[in-house]
Amino acid sequence: MSEPRSELILDRLIHEPGRLAILTVLSSVRDADFVFLQRTTGLTKGNLSSHLTKLEAAGLVAIEKKFVHKKPNTNVALTAAGKQRIARHWDQLERLKTLSESSGQQ
Amino acid sequence: MQRKTLEKAAANYSYLRGLLAIPLGVLLILAALANWEVGPLRHIWVFPVAVAMAGAGWLAITRYYNENYGRLSPSTKQQVRSALAVVIALAVMGGGSLLMRSDAAWSLDLPVNAIAVSFALIMLISYAIGVGLKAHHVIIWGAVLVAGALPVWSSPDPSNIGLLLAGVAVMVSGVFDHRLFVHTFGAPKTLDLEESDVGA
Repeated sequence: MSEPRSELILDRLIHEPGRLAILTVLSSVRDADFVFLQRTTGLTKGNLSSHLTKLEAAGLVAIEKKFVHKKPNTNVALTAAGKQRIARHWDQLERLKTLSESSGQQ
Repeated sequence: MQRKTLEKAAANYSYLRGLLAIPLGVLLILAALANWEVGPLRHIWVFPVAVAMAGAGWLAITRYYNENYGRLSPSTKQQVRSALAVVIALAVMGGGSLLMRSDAAWSLDLPVNAIAVSFALIMLISYAIGVGLKAHHVIIWGAVLVAGALPVWSSPDPSNIGLLLAGVAVMVSGVFDHRLFVHTFGAPKTLDLEESDVGA
């Protein structure tokens, strides 16, 4: 069995559906808060919190905690590395899709 | 994984907060009634008070959306699109309405309702650039456009009727936008919206 081509190996940290959803939403905004991410991804509070902690530890998102109208507010933004990794990941998925379509036609 | 749906969430969030259109619609209607000097609106101080009340309503509605659906800062790309929509809107409102019907020597002086036509065009262009036209945008603003463009507005100044039409259309379109917003992001109290301790 041949080795998989390195450019097609998926980033396991990002490929998890919850984290992929979070990073995809964040790639279309400058920053967003916890509630907006909960709404758009449909993740539970605990799941979202856990995924964000992992993404922050990997340096893909920056988290800022502040108070808005005396209520705690968690704001999240992609880091430069995060922007690069999510764009590359979607490119890889597109390439895999194209590859599987072309091999299906043969 | 619905990539396009997730990527469009920010644009949908910014454009479909339809309840924010209600104070604007009320103001347009009040502007028309003030021009006609109807009831208490004949007093010059009433309209600024109405503007202040509409502003307070707008802030309260913004807070409702922020607390139930979250906050975001749009991307630079989205901000450029919004700025482009504003520039086009100003050009249509200023140039278009003067060209269609005004006291200017170069005006075509058509028997149309320039306010209704301009407003409908602005809204259609703005939605098309920002979030893509939905069926209710085409129906509501298309109807205002057609009504304004019919050559039946030969009365001296149909601007106030145009403002009334625009005000009602803004509110109706806003209600439909909000329905679509709730359909996209869920009902207000369906999530446990307490803040997390992430990053603590």
